[in-house]
Amino acid sequence: MSRGTTRRVVVTGMGVVSPLGHDPATLADNLLAGRSGASRITVFDSAQLPTRIAAEVKDFASPFDLPDRKIRFGLAAARSALSAANRHGAPLGEFYPADRRRLSFGIGLELFSMPDMILHQQGKNGRTSMTFLQTPSDLGIHLIGRELQATQPPLTHVSACAASTDAVGAAMRLIRSGRCDCALAGGTDSMINPMGVGGFCSLRALTTRNDAPEKASRPFDRDRDGFLLGEGAGALVLESEESAQKRGAKILAEVVGFGNSFDAYGISEPHPEAEGALLAMQRAVEDAGIAPEDVVHVNAHGTSTPKNDPVETLAIRKLFGAHADRVTVNATKSMIGHLISASGAVEIVSLIACAGRGYVHPTVNLDHPDPRCDLDYVRERKRGTAGGYFLKNSFAFGGQNASLVLKTGAAYA
Amino acid sequence: MDPQSQTGTPDPLVVTGTGHSLSGRDATSGSGDVTPWIKSRKTLKFMGKQDKLAVQAAGLALQTARVDETVLKRRTGLYVAVGFIPFEKEDIDPLAENSSDQGRFSMELFSTKAMPQVNPLLTFRCLSNMPAFHVSINFGMQGPYFVTYPGAGQFYVALQEAEDALSRGDIDVALVGAVADQDNFLVKYHLNRLGSLCFENPRDAAAFLVLEKRSPAVARGVTPVAEWNHLDASYQAPDLLSRIPRPSETLTFNREPLPLHQDGFLGPAAFAYWLDQLHTQKRRGELLHEIGTFDGIHAASAWRLL
Repeated sequence: MSRGTTRRVVVTGMGVVSPLGHDPATLADNLLAGRSGASRITVFDSAQLPTRIAAEVKDFASPFDLPDRKIRFGLAAARSALSAANRHGAPLGEFYPADRRRLSFGIGLELFSMPDMILHQQGKNGRTSMTFLQTPSDLGIHLIGRELQATQPPLTHVSACAASTDAVGAAMRLIRSGRCDCALAGGTDSMINPMGVGGFCSLRALTTRNDAPEKASRPFDRDRDGFLLGEGAGALVLESEESAQKRGAKILAEVVGFGNSFDAYGISEPHPEAEGALLAMQRAVEDAGIAPEDVVHVNAHGTSTPKNDPVETLAIRKLFGAHADRVTVNATKSMIGHLISASGAVEIVSLIACAGRGYVHPTVNLDHPDPRCDLDYVRERKRGTAGGYFLKNSFAFGGQNASLVLKTGAAYA
Repeated sequence: MDPQSQTGTPDPLVVTGTGHSLSGRDATSGSGDVTPWIKSRKTLKFMGKQDKLAVQAAGLALQTARVDETVLKRRTGLYVAVGFIPFEKEDIDPLAENSSDQGRFSMELFSTKAMPQVNPLLTFRCLSNMPAFHVSINFGMQGPYFVTYPGAGQFYVALQEAEDALSRGDIDVALVGAVADQDNFLVKYHLNRLGSLCFENPRDAAAFLVLEKRSPAVARGVTPVAEWNHLDASYQAPDLLSRIPRPSETLTFNREPLPLHQDGFLGPAAFAYWLDQLHTQKRRGELLHEIGTFDGIHAASAWRLL
């Protein structure tokens, strides 16, 4: 891989809706304190499903009267990110022509609502034609597009759990290659609904530690038993460094490299030799124009599933060699669960927000590391960081892997 | 935008392979027998209709282009637009019936009666990223990807992403295409909601193009099928809650309009399908495609069939 041009790409605004807060500062506060967003499911009656816990978005008053949670989350995060970027310097909408702005967003499945489906079987179409089937997911992209007022087509990513890391990576490349100067990138998802939770239960992918929700997500721990479902949205405003400086923007981080790959192996299990994960990380590091030894920290995909965590550990070991023992690793999903298509974006926001304060957050519940998970995980409490190059991983069912290299830290705060 | 113009290189992008697959009436392909393309038989049980269509179309395109296995593994990228999610009626009906208590949804019945009877593979057979998975595993591709959704406008975004990756030198070959399982009750619902344009006759379709730079293609002894000359795309974010833009689509070959949807509405696969058809018929000349989509994308492209 090679960098097409020398344009640098920076983050100048972030927005988030998450189980631990609806702005980056609150989210960082909670993550650094090691708090869990997990609790019993309240958005529907899960009493008789095998899994009855999740990391729900709470206390979220949406300004948008829309039936679909993920679309509401996405719109709110996007609006917050744009507003944050506009807090410093000339307004984005005035500074950049519409054809130099671009949207790149990962979005979750258009799952249908079971009550609507039953009505449909009776020849009725639910409340309105738009709410039936909870609306197609791409509706959310265009509503966010209206916020950005861009005149180039949006990039809609549907690579499942890798989608929003793909979205940020693709946006970075559009700016770096000169295709645009400013992008809104991120992802949104909510699968905390009967079909989502029921479907993952059928696959036996979810934790069933129902009696201790806050202990349920335990990436890299020997007693992990599946992932904790989360929900939310993350959005980032990216600009070329040069134009961001001209605009007078506040720079929070730099996005320096991106790579993605296929495992070409299993539909729900990672390649046992971590081929795909390693390729994505290698491509991201190479794309960043740095050596693996330059990376100081990895924010792992870290799902808390039996299969992901050891394979991701193996991939990190293979990428870094001896340097693997000098890299710190954490997993945001230990506190906010797995936000599926939104996971990458929310975790990137988390990473930047925490690093801006000079810390990386802990991986909670890592009480007894799996012997196959033998890296320097940040456990129990936050750890200080001088910043530098951080690697972010997101891996999907279907063997799609995305990795991103960011340069961030307190120097940007 | 002229493909490759951003780098200033005179090496145009060419199509070196094409392939399509339609379900039902198409005698040359059909979705029935995907086995010639299956490398991993254990994945067959996970395959939905759209997955089979995608694997067939991709296989035909890669076969025409004679892409070397080494290039295929690490130096080929996959760029694919996938249609609306086609949950199957035969899977959904029992779920709804077993969750219904006197015509109303019962969470208790859903949890205790309906879900335990659900095939856990149900989800896998319908997900938007699964056609990409099945193409990757059956052709041994570990290259970069872009998986998008749900219509013809996104096919053009995939094309742009492929062009970018080729320009950067990230890949040597791009497999670009679209797949949509449309003869499906949920998809038809969405299409009907979105308006006209032959939506009354939706077909299940997949079509792929193999795209690469001309010099390396010629150097490896492949005869280009078509040259990509121009692409222009724009967007006006629609307010789909209040007004859905009326879609339009035209295809002209040597200035004569082609009957774009004579074989049914092919959705995002229409353009690549026609390019494949014209190539198969050994037609030569200028091909122009223009769309205005329900989601506010306008795109036009120009190609020269060689």
